[in-house]
Formats: sequence, structure tokens, C-alpha cells
Amino acid sequence: MFLRRPHLRRVAALLAACWMCAAAHGQEAKKFEVAPEIRKPATEGKVWGALLYGSSSASGASVAKDELPKALQDLPARLGKVFHFTHFELLGQHTQDVFREYESWVVPSKDLFLKVDSKGRAKDGGMNLHLQFWREQQVLVKSDAILRADSPLFIGGPKWRHGQLIFVLMLTKDED
Amino acid sequence: MNPDMTSPTAPADEGVTDLELVKRCQAGDTRAFDALVTKYRGRVYSMTCHLIQNETEAWDLAQESFIKAWRAIGGFKLDSAFYTWLYRIAHNVCYDWLRKKKIEGDAEFDDSRTDHHVAAGAEAVPRGVQRPDQALKNAELKARIDAAIARLTPDHRQAILLKEVEGLRYHEIAEVMECSIGTVMSRLFYARKKLQELLKDTYENAT
Amino acid sequence: MKTPPDENDIVRWLDGEMDAAEKAAFEAELAADPALKTEMESLGTLGALLRKNVAADPPVPHADFFNSQIQVRIAQEEMDRRRQPAGRAAAGGGLLDWLRRPWFVAAATAAITALAIVLWQDRGAPAAGTSIVLSNYTPNPEVRARAFHSDEANATVLMLDGLSEMPAEHKITGHRVFRSETDQEVATTTLFSSDGHVLLVLAKDALDHPRLLDHTP
Repeated sequence: MFLRRPHLRRVAALLAACWMCAAAHGQEAKKFEVAPEIRKPATEGKVWGALLYGSSSASGASVAKDELPKALQDLPARLGKVFHFTHFELLGQHTQDVFREYESWVVPSKDLFLKVDSKGRAKDGGMNLHLQFWREQQVLVKSDAILRADSPLFIGGPKWRHGQLIFVLMLTKDED
Repeated sequence: MNPDMTSPTAPADEGVTDLELVKRCQAGDTRAFDALVTKYRGRVYSMTCHLIQNETEAWDLAQESFIKAWRAIGGFKLDSAFYTWLYRIAHNVCYDWLRKKKIEGDAEFDDSRTDHHVAAGAEAVPRGVQRPDQALKNAELKARIDAAIARLTPDHRQAILLKEVEGLRYHEIAEVMECSIGTVMSRLFYARKKLQELLKDTYENAT
Repeated sequence: MKTPPDENDIVRWLDGEMDAAEKAAFEAELAADPALKTEMESLGTLGALLRKNVAADPPVPHADFFNSQIQVRIAQEEMDRRRQPAGRAAAGGGLLDWLRRPWFVAAATAAITALAIVLWQDRGAPAAGTSIVLSNYTPNPEVRARAFHSDEANATVLMLDGLSEMPAEHKITGHRVFRSETDQEVATTTLFSSDGHVLLVLAKDALDHPRLLDHTP
């Protein structure tokens, strides 16, 4: 029941979102052109987020190295040390600027995704972040964290089929 | 505005800082925690009341916030302000409650329902020496303001009260509400525009 | 026609969050625009009205009872905690419940974090440093969050226990998102692929929850 007066703006947002989707849908082959007046917010850095499926049956595609950032070329082996699965499949990934004053979203899949709020640079490098890990409409965990470049955060998510869904988030170095 | 947030009003242990009290709590001193409860109960109750617009439940949620704070106080980092940490717990407690109510389907954000609720602090109207007509005028004004605040969304309501009444800085509001500073500014802007629309006649006559 | 000022500038001026140069520029704008000046005065009056009429620290009904009930709850939890290891051990299988207690989870998380920091310091932190999880909050009490560092994996781990399983028949659709555009006016975020196609649009509902609209062909 959010179609009440105090929420007209959000309704407008949803309608706008629908409109943007519809507009883009009607132009399958064309690139989406961003309105020139949209101001690009200041950024603090860049993160790489990925959703993986870990299992012990090699049914899906293995992770191709060219899909991974330089610092995570050995990601399957490292995940195996924590989650004890033999096979990892990269379901989705997202490279995202972390905005200084606005929330950022890392959405490798609409089933599991992260909201990231920057709380500024950490004293000894890295970035202070507030993270919210969402499963569709439900927030699973809220965390404060300091992410440092090339040092990944593995989030052990829900079990699925014969394995588990795993979210990886890493602050990338500028050159990545 | 209260610019001196290092010493909010009505401290229970005069001269004892929050930091000292928190350290004593971390060592298991429940009397130190009682002092913190006394110091912040009004503010936390005010927040829960304004957020959920139900005084009885707000009293329970304020208590729940303090219980959760006690459980988690061992992990509190001493380099940040206790009150923002506490307010954040109260914020989460209220939003969990709102979410559950939303799921149960009996507390949808229907602004028409909140008009007649009395917000937190209803008893706090100064009862100094006032002429009866003046006291009535003040009470009416306050009721109108409370009703207008109640018509904001919980996010807008909390942002504007943390700013204007609590005097928190943007980064502190962002910390409490677990959002970005840009979102805080946006919420403040729209809360003010809405309140201006609802109260313009009231305050133009009052000033 | 004059360009209306940015909404962030309006709130930052009202809240005294501008630096001297920004303030001077904005006030020059005010001086040149009587309508804007009147609007800002009106918003300023609104703030004063709220500060005067809304109590920051109102009296709590039955304040002494409020405090004493909290003390009783704390004492009760402390007694439960002391009783449990011996009592439950006799009954068998109580350790798991004890581990699930919120105070224990909080204390354990803090201890693990502290220990991890000590270990990192002892080992000599690498130049780039290691990511750290400082605190966790799980809205669902059935879900527990554990944060630790895995030396073997050289990664920080946030393990969520107690989550309900994702239905096996549910198909997880992944995306390859390359960048996003956020439109502050309508509060939407559009996610693009590397070749510029729209993959998803994210908007918010009345509870500030995200709603994702899929646009994969």
C-alpha cells in the first residue's frame, strides 16, 4: 500500500524505472543513451563484486581466468580453502564505482546483491564501508568493514541445490 | 539545535563521560549502564515514538534498544560516539518492527492514520508560568507540528528530527540511518518541503 | 529564467554545512533573488519552530520502571548464561544454544576481530593491508554472522549461518555489469553491460527497499 501521498516520489521513481526499462526494451539493438544532465557523483574507488555457486559436482562452467581481476586469478582455489567445494561457477559479476556521497549497488544477480555506502578513506589506506547484503527484498546482514585493495571479502550466502551461493567483494587497484 | 553533542542534556552522572561509563559497562558494571539508560532514555524513546507513531509499543522498543545495546556493548569501539551507536541500534529495532508490521499487513504507511496520534514529548510542553490562553495556543501549535511530523515517511521524519532537534551532523545521521550523506541531504530537503507545505500557515501566524 | 539552486546546496546552507567560499557564493545568489531569499527564510523559520516545539529529551512515562525492567532483563540473561553450561551439559546438546546467544555472538565476533587484528599486527601487515569486518547486524534473529580471516585463502570471510535455502527449482540469473548511472531526481540506478546495454534498473519502494527490474533479453 505504498501508493499513498507521502510516497508519490517513490512511486514516480518506480514508474520512471519502468519507463526506463520499457524505453530500453524498445531499442534492443541501440545503446542506452544517458541524459546529458545527469551529474556523475564523485567516487572513492572501485569494487569488483561477484556471485558464485560452489558445489562438489562439476555440472556448470568453470570460472574463466579472463573474467577475474588480476589479483583474483586463483579465486577458485582460494574459495576452496574456505568453503570446501571442488567446483565454482561464476554466475555474475559487477564492476562498480563507489560514490562518495551516494549509495552504490553491486548487483551481479538480482537474487543476491550488495548496497555499499562509503564512509570515507581509512587512515592506513583502503575504504571504510557500510555494507548491506540483500536477498531480493530482504536484508540478510548489515556490516561495517574496511576494504583494502586486492584483499577480498567472501560472504557465505544461502545453500542452493547441492552447494552454496557465495558473494565475493574486492576493492580494486586503480589500474585494474 | 544542540551543538554540544558531547554532553546531551540531563546527564545522570554529572561529570562522568559516556566513554567512562561505556568502559565500566564493558567490564560488566550494570550500574554504569543504568546511568547511560537514564541519560539517553528520553532521546531513544522520542526516536522510537516518532518513528513508529505508537506510544505503548515505542516504550517497549526503547527498552529493547537498550537491552540490545547492553548485549553488544562489548564490541563497541571507543573511538566513536556512544549516542550515534545507540541511536543506530534503536533505528534498527524500529525498522525491524515496521518491517514485521508491514508483513503482518496492519501497519502500512497510511498517513491518514497517524494524524491523531500524539507524538513523543507530548508531556514535555513547558509548564512554566503561562497565561491559560497562551498555554492553549502553545499546545495547539505543538499538536499541529506533531501531526505534520507524523505525516512524513519514517525516513524523512527521522532525518529531520535528528538534524533539527538532536542537532546531529550529516555524517552522524548517515551513521544512524545507515545511508549515504547524499541520501541524508535528499531526505532533509523533502522533509522540509513537506513540513513547509503542511505548516506554512501555522508558523506564519505564530511568528 | 534563473536556474533553481541545487537541493543539496539549499540544505547545506540551512544546516551550516557549507565552507566559506560556498556560503559566500550562495548568499550572493540569495541577494540577487528575492524569491529564493524568502523561501530560505521560510525554511529557516521552520527549523526554529521545530527546535522550539519538539522536545529532544522528553520525559519517559514510568521512567524508574523503565530502568528497573532493563536491569531485571540484564540480570536474568546473566543468570541464564551462568546456569546454562552446567545445566544444559547435563541435559546434553546445550552447547549450540549457548553459542547462539546474542551476547556470545557479539562477544565472539569482537574477540575474533580483536584476535585477527592482533594476529595481523604480529605477522606484519602486508603493504596493501587486509580487509576487516568491524561489526555485523542480522535483522533476522535466526541468522548469525561470523567474521574471520582465512590465512589459507588470504581472504576475509563473513559467514552467514541459519539462512533459509534458496529453492532448488529457482533459477539464478547472473549478469555481467560494467557500470551504473544513478539519477538522483527519480532515485533510480541503471546498470549497464560493457557494451552499453541496460541490464537492470533499481528503484526503491516505500520502505526504502530495492526493487530490481530485469531487462535481460
